[in-house]
Amino acid sequence: MMDASTFVSVLTGGLVLGVLYSLMAFGLALVWTTLGIFNFAHGAFIVMGAYIAWQVGNPDGFGLGFWAGAIVAVLGMFVLGVVFQFLLIKPFERKPNIVLLTVITTLAGATILVNVINVIWGPRSKQISLPVSGDIAFGLFRISANEAVMVVVVAAALAGLGWFLLRSPLGRSMRAVAQNREAAQLMGLNVPLLYAATFGLAASLAGLAGVFIGSIRFMTPNLGDDPLQKALVVVILGGVARFTSPIYAAFLVGLIEAFATYYVGLYWTPAVLFILMIAVLVAKPEGLFGRRQRSV
Amino acid sequence: MRYDPPFHRTNGLWPTLILIALAAVAPFVISDSYTRHLLILAFMYAIVASSWDFSLGFGGLFNFAHGALFAVGLYTYALTTKFLAVSPWLALVLAGAAAIILAVAIALPVLRLDGIYVILVTIAVSQLLYQITVSQSDFTGGTSGVVSLPGLKIGKYPFIRDGKIGYYYTALALLVISTAFLYAITRSRLGRAAVALRDNKFFAIARGVSEARTRVLTLAASALFTGIAGGFYGSYVRVASPDVYGTGFLTTILSILLVGGAATLWGPIAAAFLITFLSELLVDLGPWREIIMGLIIILVVVFYPGGLWAFIQELREKVDGVRTGVTATYRRKRGKTAREAMMSGAKESYIRTLHGLTAISDSGGNLPALLLIHGNSACKEAFYKQYAALKDRFRLIAFDLPGHGVSSNADPETTYNAVAYAEVAESVLADRGVSQAYVFGWSLGGYVALELAARENVKILGLAIAGTSPLTVVPDDFADGYDASSHLILSGKQFFTAQESYDYASSATAPKSAESAFMHRNLPRTDGRARAYMMTKLAIVNWPRQMRRLWENAFPFAIVNGDNDPFLNHDYIRRLSSAEDWPHVLIEIEDGKHAPFFNKPDEFNKAIVSLFAGA
Repeated sequence: MMDASTFVSVLTGGLVLGVLYSLMAFGLALVWTTLGIFNFAHGAFIVMGAYIAWQVGNPDGFGLGFWAGAIVAVLGMFVLGVVFQFLLIKPFERKPNIVLLTVITTLAGATILVNVINVIWGPRSKQISLPVSGDIAFGLFRISANEAVMVVVVAAALAGLGWFLLRSPLGRSMRAVAQNREAAQLMGLNVPLLYAATFGLAASLAGLAGVFIGSIRFMTPNLGDDPLQKALVVVILGGVARFTSPIYAAFLVGLIEAFATYYVGLYWTPAVLFILMIAVLVAKPEGLFGRRQRSV
Repeated sequence: MRYDPPFHRTNGLWPTLILIALAAVAPFVISDSYTRHLLILAFMYAIVASSWDFSLGFGGLFNFAHGALFAVGLYTYALTTKFLAVSPWLALVLAGAAAIILAVAIALPVLRLDGIYVILVTIAVSQLLYQITVSQSDFTGGTSGVVSLPGLKIGKYPFIRDGKIGYYYTALALLVISTAFLYAITRSRLGRAAVALRDNKFFAIARGVSEARTRVLTLAASALFTGIAGGFYGSYVRVASPDVYGTGFLTTILSILLVGGAATLWGPIAAAFLITFLSELLVDLGPWREIIMGLIIILVVVFYPGGLWAFIQELREKVDGVRTGVTATYRRKRGKTAREAMMSGAKESYIRTLHGLTAISDSGGNLPALLLIHGNSACKEAFYKQYAALKDRFRLIAFDLPGHGVSSNADPETTYNAVAYAEVAESVLADRGVSQAYVFGWSLGGYVALELAARENVKILGLAIAGTSPLTVVPDDFADGYDASSHLILSGKQFFTAQESYDYASSATAPKSAESAFMHRNLPRTDGRARAYMMTKLAIVNWPRQMRRLWENAFPFAIVNGDNDPFLNHDYIRRLSSAEDWPHVLIEIEDGKHAPFFNKPDEFNKAIVSLFAGA
């Protein structure tokens, strides 16, 4: 058994991971529900966002500071996402085998992005420097200041998204299109525009996630593989019935990962997650927090 | 029932034998060990990609753990040879067996799932296996892999010697065996069941195909040679590294499959060579190579989804179109006198219609006109016995349908269908100055005759059809009106082999003899697109209108069938003819075949005369 302080620090680690994962998974789930496809370039988007932020923000790049880098990364990834959707996903809309075709084009798109990053920035590892340092402690809880920044920004971003999707006309149109494309179109919504906007939004969320991952880990062009897998696990565990489902699942996965790392070690943790994912897919493909709905 | 000739009777035989022979002698020309290395890799990729094509293309199962099947074969080879000192040859077999076991294990969770969920589960399974492999570093060497594996050898001769010649032939042999295996299995009951489940799952299940069983067997079949190829790869590069679980390897195989063309079997094999060498050409470009390969995949999927194989088929269609067109022109110019003599001196003339140049044979005279319309892949001379016997009772007019006989080929999209053929028939009658006619249609010509009557642009004095089932609901009645014999499949097949030409001419007209040899000679001239498009354009015909016209009883009508016609479902026609209020007669000519006017001309002519000219 672990003592109280270990428990709290593992718990804290799990919650911080959950914050990060919810940001990574949100965009993936958004695209899945709305466009009905699985974006295998989501990991590459995360890396791209990290590199853009590094280029703009870091002293070795343009040196405009962390926040400028983050903002440019988010906006730049929105544009990239729209272009990506137009080139690689739009041509297959309404084709019967769109699922397989977009798996292929997004995989190929991811390969291209990763290698473009390799061409531009090279394979050497980099790290985004943060505006804050030191630790913050509340009793037994103790997190580093940059983790605190991340938690605050992500919470703000998710809250903003929640408001956007629930209250704003554009967000509600997006949800309408996700629920029923035909009906939404009949109501006069501009479906192609909303699809592009959704994909762009998902890409900019990936970009934001990249900014934080790039600040807590070393960046290489292949950084995206692990986040993509984690986002995959989160989205499958949670399902996509509500846009909040991936957020719950992200915390679940974060906690499982933190405790599994403590109990079974680093090497076996991914195996535990994948076994869990397979079990959920077999027993309840719609996800732990999902209801049965149309198959994607 | 499907018309599946054995491989040695298909068009694929000679190209395949030539390619195998070329591959077998290639090492004598290519002594450079690096080119041989690339060829060995291409053989291996071809095995893995074509095996995947069986489950992905034919079976429609998105098994993204295919790379893991290869990896398991590789590690089985590595671990059994390294730790159990198993002979490398036995280890290859074990690699195949291990891959099958994994495939069955994958099949179980995906039995209930569809589409994207299958992709997700299989990706998860391969990631799981990757994690397990990496974590067991005592055996697997972790991320650096198992090194210095034993290679293949016979006796004391290691296969790596003499410029890898042993590996070259082993890989080639594996490719040949694997392709033969996949070819056989796509044509087996299992292969057809897999395709049926892919195309229409619920219909297939309703017809008694077991989804679970088919999925398990499909995955197992696609795993067998993938695992063996994995083992072979281990014996060749002598390292088992976990990279093969990754998306890089999977993307390479997937690009080979797609560039080649899914569900074609041959496409991925051809593409394996293309991609391997292309990728080799770009090797100096570093990351740009991956970018270019990614772009190629995207461009193929967006602009040419059929892949390389579809391109080859289109090329073949063009070549075949030119061949048949040139043959028709040549025969039109050269054999006119012989044809006129055959048609008892009836003059041959040509008119240009919307649907190309049409050849007409008109016996002339001031007699009631009888228009004769020939069937699929035949020609107007099929009626030469009627010209000989009936030319004093009728003015006989026959013509070659577009794409048939000595008429020219035409635009397949607009011309090769029963409606356009009826338009051609109207043009022919107009050209001959005939405004009312008796009409006889044979087989496909029967539908042209029915359509001609339904259009009501020409006054029909009387109508007879042979070898044709009148239809109301298509395709349902089509399935009911014909006996789904193997040769019926040929009537819609685009490219015929010599054997298929012979089979089709024999069952449609008569086995080859002195009097039917011209039909056998004519058949290969038929534009293959005429057969293929005729079937795909069934829906543009207004079938109920044809049937309604018959019920209206506006003209004398009879069905004159050979009672031994192998294509027809005679029960369907008898049921129709014995229906209450059906105003028409059914004449069954004893021992007549699909072309009763040819096999039993006397009985047929008598029937026609009594029908049209009054007994």
